Amino acid sequence: MKFDNDTYRITEPGRFGAIALMVGVAGLALSLVAYFVDSEQFFHSYLVAFFFWISIALGGLFFTMLHHLVGAKWSVVLRRLSENLMTAAPLMIIFFIPILFGFHELYHWSHDDAVAPDSLLQGKSGYLNVPFFVIRALFYFVIWAALSRILFRTSAAQDAGHNDSLLRKMRVTSAPGMILFALTITFAAFDWLMSLDPHWYSTIFGVYVFSGALVAMLAFMTFVILRLRAMAALTGTITEEHYHDLGKLMFGFIIFWGYMAFSQYFLIWYGNIPEETIWFLHRWDTSWKIVSLILVFGHFVIPFFVLFPRGPKRNPAILKFMAIWILFMHLIDLHWIVLPNLHQHGLHPSWIDLTTLAGIGGVFLWFFWRRMASRPLVPVGDPHLEESKKFVNY
Amino acid sequence: MSGETAHIEPPLAGGVQTLGSITEKISSIAERKAPRLWYLAFGAAFSLLLVLIGSIGYLVFEGVGIWGLNNPVGWGWAIINFVWWVGIGHAGTLISAILFLLRQRWRTSINRFAEAMTLFAVCCALIFPAIHVGRIWVVYWMFPIPNQMAMWPNFRSPLLWDVFAVSTYFTASLLFWFTGLIPDLATFRDRAEARIKKIIFGVLALGWRGGNRQWKHYELAYLLLAGISTPLVLSVHSVVSTDFAVSILPGWHTTIFPPYFVAGAIFSGFAMVVTLTTIARKIFGLQDIITINHMEKMNKVMLLTGMMVGYAYSMEFFIAWYSGNIYEQFAFINRAFGQYAWAYWIMISCNVFVPQLFWFKKLRRSIPVMFTASILINIGMWFERFVIVVSSLAQDFLPANWDYYSPTIWDISTFVGSFGLFFTLFLLFIRFLPMISMAEVKGVLPQADVHYHEAGGERG
Repeated sequence: MKFDNDTYRITEPGRFGAIALMVGVAGLALSLVAYFVDSEQFFHSYLVAFFFWISIALGGLFFTMLHHLVGAKWSVVLRRLSENLMTAAPLMIIFFIPILFGFHELYHWSHDDAVAPDSLLQGKSGYLNVPFFVIRALFYFVIWAALSRILFRTSAAQDAGHNDSLLRKMRVTSAPGMILFALTITFAAFDWLMSLDPHWYSTIFGVYVFSGALVAMLAFMTFVILRLRAMAALTGTITEEHYHDLGKLMFGFIIFWGYMAFSQYFLIWYGNIPEETIWFLHRWDTSWKIVSLILVFGHFVIPFFVLFPRGPKRNPAILKFMAIWILFMHLIDLHWIVLPNLHQHGLHPSWIDLTTLAGIGGVFLWFFWRRMASRPLVPVGDPHLEESKKFVNY
Repeated sequence: MSGETAHIEPPLAGGVQTLGSITEKISSIAERKAPRLWYLAFGAAFSLLLVLIGSIGYLVFEGVGIWGLNNPVGWGWAIINFVWWVGIGHAGTLISAILFLLRQRWRTSINRFAEAMTLFAVCCALIFPAIHVGRIWVVYWMFPIPNQMAMWPNFRSPLLWDVFAVSTYFTASLLFWFTGLIPDLATFRDRAEARIKKIIFGVLALGWRGGNRQWKHYELAYLLLAGISTPLVLSVHSVVSTDFAVSILPGWHTTIFPPYFVAGAIFSGFAMVVTLTTIARKIFGLQDIITINHMEKMNKVMLLTGMMVGYAYSMEFFIAWYSGNIYEQFAFINRAFGQYAWAYWIMISCNVFVPQLFWFKKLRRSIPVMFTASILINIGMWFERFVIVVSSLAQDFLPANWDYYSPTIWDISTFVGSFGLFFTLFLLFIRFLPMISMAEVKGVLPQADVHYHEAGGERG
């Protein structure tokens, strides 16, 4: 890769995109084989991989809108990266299509013979039925596509030449956008993940899934920045000061995730009503207990203590390690949400977990890298760009 | 910096301000004779305080039977008032701790004010659970004090966690407030003419001389206190929410309660800050220091938190239906259409609809609109707690137990009286202490920039 520090453009994207695409295609091909080998395992693994990548893209959409809404200046240099991520969200509709063929394997509520004798599922059938599920999913994608398209196009227009109306347009889009985002990610979490166990319910589930997505997105962005730095790109633009703030945000939202996870667990544990505790029992009684404990320590305790002091947040090596660590933990979190519905007798890792992750991930990264190479890596038309570059923590 | 002038934020203080004029303006409020309005307000507040004392006196004499509590509704206004007052306190801590960590320097004009509000609101809040215990003379049993009876409070009870959470919160807020006051107390000491004032402010200022090293330590301490207080903003009301959510009562037992309560607390707290600042800036002529921009920003926070609360209401309703649990479904339909529907719709109107006014810049910047809205929001937030506490208790699992709850005159007098305590303390605060942080406001003036003179500014 070659990078021009004056125009902020990647002049030669190098082979990364091609490699990512090859890995992606190979992963998808192997996953297709997996479908014929073990379709149930395939669909569950696929759902985890799908949600892992889309959650990062949706995190990008949230970060971009938040940036506009609060009028942040320090994060101007990061904006283009989150914008590049958010444009991948509508692309993910392609990867949603296979899930439509997996209703039978994934969603117990889609079996007519299971719903008939079950009065609870009958009661929910007005919401949990295949046509409405598809319509809702379509609606979420339309919203995400519209928001990311408006924001990205306006941002691209700003590169050509700034005027205040563009900045204003992005802000004005973000305000209702944030409301739509909150509702769509909540119901996407309910539909795609919570309804895997159709009897179980939790009011905080949408916020819980959102908190994980946001941490994962921050970790992903930090990782990308530090990789670019290793290739001497953006070094004078995104500085230690920005790493420090990204580290603070990761630290803060790791706590936020822990707060959501704890609220959910604790209130259900204390209330001790069987219809609610069953979800956690499935994740505790068997070898899933190990995964539950890994989440407690790996997704909260360890990042909390590592990212607490000032030093590690300003140390690229440690921060990069923590970014990868957090991404891995987010994957485990999703695995822990989805897979116990299939493997109720214990943790059961499969090679299909890897092929689906690499399959969707390869294409995702190929697309992301193309986006990165197509425009300057910072919003060059933003009036606060210089301010953002010079930003220092106090 | 040239070429960017068009995008520079409006200054945080309006009018022509110098370092000296800030000191003069804020100190003089506490130094000159109080305006007549202050005496009138203090008289009214103090009378209400006497109402509170009288009500509590009668309560201790007669017992909690004087309240409107009945068999299913064992928690009435006292708990509602407790949660409401604690919630109000949250804005102060959010402004002083979280906005500090988020580098929101506009907070400097309102943080002292809001922190004081926090302390007084928590004082009011603490009264209610304390007098609710019945035998108030053994109220110290709430604390785990070793005793010969080997009797301990139940550590698994959220009511005990409340004792720890709220007292920790009060202590941390007090320390934070006092630390922030030190440089300003020293200013008061230096300006004081009467010897007794010199001595009192001298003791309170802890020997502050404003030296470089003192400032360095001070700022580090302030940052650390902000860091320590930040989790408290979230934890206190989360613990309060567990008073309800750990039970299995429909309408109380729901996992979103902790963040939902925190959002509601910040919402009501900001409403109270807006109510108080609109009055105070008018009476003391502080429009140049607490500008309309500050007010607008607070209104935006209310818009945001109001929608968070609205999100929680909708999630509760949706999941109640989705759960398929008939008791859960009944609890929510009953809230909206049952005997307390009037309270529910007051809550929805005030908390969800009223803040929507703030989508419009014109309304966000209108003092009469924000003053009215902030009062409506506080009414709405009180009714939110009323809906939660009363509607779930009055009609629970067994219809044979159902009853209608209404307050007695003593419920009302205790609640109204608590305003007396709040405003008495608040009026004393603005009379005797700097109600705006002089040192911090000076920090956001252009004169505080080390390059100010080079940039051609006049001497401050």
